[in-house]
Parts: sequence; C-alpha cells; structure tokens
Amino acid sequence: MNGAKNDASVDAYTQLKTDFAAITAKSFQARLNEFVENKTPIIACTDDFFPELFTAMELPFYFSVRQGLEGAFHTGKGPEAVDGYSELGGSSSLCSLQKAAAYLLVKGKLPKPAAIVMTSTSCDAQTAVNELMSNYKPWAAVPRVSVDASFEKDEASMAYLGRQWMDCIPFIEKATGRKFDLDRLKEVCEESNKQCGLMFDFQELRRAVPSPVRADWGFIAYMTGRWAACGRPEATEWLQRLYDVTAQRVKDGLGIEGVKEKIRYAWFDILPCWSDKLFPRLEQAFGAVNLMDLYGYNAPWPVIDTSSLESIFTSFAKRFLIGNPMTRQIFSLSSVYGNDAVHIARNFKCDAMIMPSHVGHKDGAASHRVVKDMFRQIGVPFLVLGCDVFDERYMSPDVVFDKISTFFETAGLTGR
Amino acid sequence: MQSGLNSEVFDKFARIAGAINNSEVENWKKQGGKVMGYFCSFIPEEIFIAAGLLPFRMRATGSCGTDQADVYFSSNNCSFPRHCFNQALVGKYDFLDGLVVGTSCDNLRRIYDNWKISSVKTSFLYMMDRARTSGEPMVEYTLSELRKLKAGMEAHFKVTITDEGLWQAIRLTNATRRLQQQLYELRKADSPPITGAETVPIMVSSFSMPKEKYNAGLTTLLGELRGVAGSKAYRARIMIVGTGQDDTFLCDLVENQGGLVVMDQACWGARTMCRTIAETGADPLQAIARHHTLDVPFCAKMNAAFQKRAQFVLDMIKAYRVSGVIIEHFVSCEPWGVDSVMLKQRLDEAKVPYLQLVRDYIPSQIGQMTTRVGAFLEMIGGVL
Repeated sequence: MNGAKNDASVDAYTQLKTDFAAITAKSFQARLNEFVENKTPIIACTDDFFPELFTAMELPFYFSVRQGLEGAFHTGKGPEAVDGYSELGGSSSLCSLQKAAAYLLVKGKLPKPAAIVMTSTSCDAQTAVNELMSNYKPWAAVPRVSVDASFEKDEASMAYLGRQWMDCIPFIEKATGRKFDLDRLKEVCEESNKQCGLMFDFQELRRAVPSPVRADWGFIAYMTGRWAACGRPEATEWLQRLYDVTAQRVKDGLGIEGVKEKIRYAWFDILPCWSDKLFPRLEQAFGAVNLMDLYGYNAPWPVIDTSSLESIFTSFAKRFLIGNPMTRQIFSLSSVYGNDAVHIARNFKCDAMIMPSHVGHKDGAASHRVVKDMFRQIGVPFLVLGCDVFDERYMSPDVVFDKISTFFETAGLTGR
Repeated sequence: MQSGLNSEVFDKFARIAGAINNSEVENWKKQGGKVMGYFCSFIPEEIFIAAGLLPFRMRATGSCGTDQADVYFSSNNCSFPRHCFNQALVGKYDFLDGLVVGTSCDNLRRIYDNWKISSVKTSFLYMMDRARTSGEPMVEYTLSELRKLKAGMEAHFKVTITDEGLWQAIRLTNATRRLQQQLYELRKADSPPITGAETVPIMVSSFSMPKEKYNAGLTTLLGELRGVAGSKAYRARIMIVGTGQDDTFLCDLVENQGGLVVMDQACWGARTMCRTIAETGADPLQAIARHHTLDVPFCAKMNAAFQKRAQFVLDMIKAYRVSGVIIEHFVSCEPWGVDSVMLKQRLDEAKVPYLQLVRDYIPSQIGQMTTRVGAFLEMIGGVL
C-alpha cells in the first residue's frame, strides 16, 4: 500500500485497490464457475491472446497458464499442484506455473471449454502445456485450432499471424454460437488503445525520483487493462484515476510511504508470488525500491488500427509479438530483453538491475551473458538470481534477500 | 549382442561419427570447399548443397564439459546446446564457414545469440525461423523463410542457387533417405544384420560428409549387410523415442544387456529419413517447405502434431514388432518432457510397455540408468 503525505492520496490508492478487486470480480476469469453452471460457452486460449475480441463478443475465456496462478498459487495450493505434477512423470524442469496448470488440467479442475485456440507462444513450457490441453482425452470432442506465431517481426509476419487469428472468427462463432460484430470490435479496440496509452503514461511517471509507487501497481495496471476488463470503459476510468493520483504524487515529490528511497532497481521478470516476503524487507533494510517488473513494463503498445478487419488483426499480431510483456522479450533475440532492461535502467535511473531468471525461463537463462555485457557497458550493477518466482521452496525468499543484500553491498550501493 | 558386422565402410562411418572434424571435411576444405553448420533437422541441407557448400549438422561429440559454455548459458539450460557450444568455444568447429541456427527450442535458439557475442568467428551466422504448427498456411511461412535464407546465402557466399541446383540436391538427399530406409528395413527382420548401436554412426555420419560419398558407401554397406547372418539372441526389441541419439550411449545401454534397438523416432534417426521430398513441382523450395511442415513425423516442438507423432510410433511398433519403448529426452527439454506425458498415455492404451529416461548429454548416474534399463528388459523380455 502506498502512503502519502496527504490523506487524499492514501484514500485514492485504497479506493483503486477496492475498485480493482471489484473489476476483477466481474471479469470472465473470476466468474468461470458461474459460466460452467449456466453452460455458457467458454474459450480456452493462450496467455497474451488478444482479449479485445472476447470483450466484443462477450465471450468468456481463460488463459491456460493463468489457471496455474489463479487456481493454484493464489489459493495456496501451488506446492500441492507442483508436487502433484510429478505424478505425471513429465519434465521436472518445467516452469512451476505450467506444472500447476498441467496438474489442474489432468485432475479435471479446469472448466471444459467450448473451443480451444492455441497460439505457438512465448516459451516451450507454455506451448507444451497447450499441447497437453489440446490432446486432453476428456476434451477430445472440443474443437480446437492451433495458430502459428512467427519469430520474425516484419510486416509480412505480422500479417501472417493476424490472418490466422482472423480466420478463427468463424470457428469461434460456430463453436460458441456467439456472433462477431465488427463495429463492436472497433469500439472495444478504440477503448483498448486508450487503456494501453494510459498504461504507458503511468509507467513513464515512475521515472520520477523518488518513485511515487511500488512496482506492483504496474502489474495491477496490466491486469486491469489486459486481463480483467480489456476494452471496457471501467478499466479506462480506473487507469485514468491511477494515472492522475500518481501524477499528483510526482508533482508533490512524494515517494513510497515509510521508505527513504536510497536504491532504485528493477526486477525484470514476473513479480514473485512471495513478493511480500522480499520487497518490504529490501525497502526497510536498504531503502531499495523496486521500480518495475516485466508485466509492468510497457514497451509502447502498437496502436490498434481500426480502419478494417484486416488492419485490426494485424495490429493484434503486432501487440502480441512486439508489445506484450514476456512474448516480446522471450520470443525474440536476447538483445531485445537486454535492450529493454537497459532502457529501464537508463531512463528510470536504476542503480541496479536484478534478473530473477525464473527457473522456467530457459531462454532467459541462456541470455545472461548477452544482457550482462550490455550492463557492463552502461556501468549498472547486474545480478542474476535463478529463483522460482512461483514456488518459493526452490529458493527461499530469505536466500533471495541474502543474495540481493550481498549484491547491493558488493556494488557499493549500501551505506548511502 | 554381436551381429557379425565386419566392414571397412562401417568403420569409416564410425570414425566420422566418432569425432567432429573428420577426413572428409578436411579433404573438402583442402579443395577449397566451404562448410555450413546447422542446428536442427528442419534446416534444409538441400539449400547448402545447391550452393556448393558441405552441410554439417552440429553435434557435441567428444565434449567433456561445458565450463566455457556456462559463461553464456545456465546449468538450467539443456545440456545439448551447452555441449555443442562448448565444442565451438574450444575450437572444434573452426572449420565452419557458416552456421544456421533454427528457431527450434528455447535452449537451442539462444546458441545464435551467444555465438554472436562469443570469440567464435563465423563469417555467416544466420537464424532461420519456420512454422511451429503443421498446416497448409504454414507452408507459405516456412517457404518465405527458406527464400530469405537462400537470398542471404547468395549474397554472402556470392553464389547463385538455382532451381535446378535445388532439384538436384533434393534428388541427392532423397537418395540418401531411400538408402537409409533400406537400412532400417533390414532391422525388421527376426535376426537383423545390424544393431541399434551400429545404426547410429551410420545415420550420424550422413550429416558430416558429402552425400555422394556417403551414398556410395552406404550402398556398399547395404550389399555387405545382406550377406550378414544376424542373431536372434536378444531378449526384447526396443524402439527409442525422443531427442538426442547423436551417440550410441543409449543403444549400448540396451544392447549390452541383451536388448536390441530396432527402431527410433529420434532427431538423428528415422525422423530425418522416413519421408522423401517431392522431386517434381513448380518450386523446389516449396517442396522442401511442404516436407518439413506437413510430411515428417516432427519433433515435439511442432504444435498440433502430437497425434501424428504418436501414430508414427504406434505404426512403427507394429511394423518392427517392438516389445518395448524407451522414451528419452534431455533434462530441461520441455517439449519432449510434456510430450512424454501424452505418449505414455497412448502407450498405456495400446498396452505397450515403456521406460522413460531423462538424462544429460553426458549422462551421470550411469549405474542407475543401467539398472533401470536392465530391469525393463527383464520385465518385457525375460531373462537371457
């Protein structure tokens, strides 16, 4: 919780949190049980899929991988799901979030969808679990389509991906009985453009010294604008309020309440499920403030061009491939990850960069040297952890704290 | 078990497979030829051959460790790319004039990024994408990538890759595939004249020497094998499914304990040769794109292809009278790791016994693996 010198700011953030909870409670994700009971058709799809279409069609959906989070780690059942996955005899090195999603699937705890749309997305782990879902025997009769996302990022490749998604519309209509309306999609896209603009503007506020908010607000903004209420006016209004109250804090020169900011760093991966056991300690021990996580980082989102159906879907492809966090960094050359991290370090005045290198992120693990070299060139201390951002049993928060402490000390950042 | 194989050709293949650089590569280079290294079986050798280059499929043969590679990679990464890269860092791949890295898995594609910043100087370093899903629209995407690769090679190596050159290369590599198919046919017999451990170097060497010479050698060898009396003294017929297999480790593990490896669905084996590329059509690159996007049994990295992969395994189990399957993959291989979950379910339904082995490129716990394989063979084949 961020505090402020004045009550208005405190109240505003409290209200934002309350409203975020309310927005999330109304989201498709939160109401899956209701849809199952009412036999409302649901789409299962890949994470990072464009939610604009589902908002326009009022079509409930869930991301396969997000189930591992919502259904396991956020309910305290993460370790049980991870350990349960081992019964399946799959790869022990699989990301624990994917293990949880896979476990929930084979235990029949995921809602049976009316259709499955899988895109060959960011990482091997996610793609592999998508395959598991697509071949899950109890769902053998569920119609499914597999979309190919290109590693290339040129215009032709964007059009290639966009066309495949566009071709999914009749498939989705047939599988769910929902009708597609281009005008409605345009409305939603235009709202989504505003939301992504606000997410980016909010991010830019965090260049301020001291940082007006903690990193988790970036993730919360992402969840609101992309997951919970993409293209819905209530999310736009929420993001505007977040921007306004934070802009005021920047104007007033306010930092995070109770924290005398001495070290600015970024945690360039997913925020851990055990964040509360780490970041507050770093704040108190060192005045170290986390400015940004991967989902709070908005490389500018490509604007959705709503001039035609084709341009909309090509824009979706651009967002997916070069805008969306994780996909942008993972499904590309190491230099993209490195350049994004360097951009944050330089423009957000980071004293240090922490690369959590989540154990499931094999591509990231293989990018250390590339990124380290970049940081050596700009003279910003850089730490690679190798933790598990979901399952704290892999590397406890205490050990992570010790590693970061030593890193800060070695880099001469403490004692300021 | 022994098959009675005593062949100079085989010995040559074994020497070539047993090291990275070899006499054929050396001769090629001495004559002014250039060598193109590549990762993954979906990278088309045909383009390299049509450009007058010698294709060399990258492997980690002879690697003893990953000390140098681990400055770039993490121990969390798959050991195969780490060992391959380490071999490059210690100079074993200094003969390469180019390297094409396919965007296959998360671990392996990072070889491109790390090679670029490393001390290994390779004048042509290229990353090639391809469709990761099987289907007609994907053929066009893979084709566009092949065209870019061709253009890149023409510009760098100052060559022209003609359609006729590509068709010739396709006919050449198809001749290789057909010869290898004949080799595999011999393994269907009750008393195959060749073991799994002997098949591996024959397959691996095909990616490490000029195809014309390889084809001539394999033709001779096939003639020799037809005169070899194999042995029935094995206790189980095994199929290996998964990654790896650029060395004989797993086959040795099976065959030193009385099993016989008769078939595989592996990166260096049947997957590369069980289908041929169309030799007619308007566009040879399209024929190649179709082959790699629609026809081959695919590795686990290919989406929406599990059913096809699994059916291939089941068909081969029948055709080769396989009594048990060993599913193997490297640690940190997510595609095969999750694929194995699904494959095991299919094998359970088909009542086919299986054993899953997860290992590093240089396996540790050899004793444990030996025991597990031995117990598996005893379970399915009885005591020898």
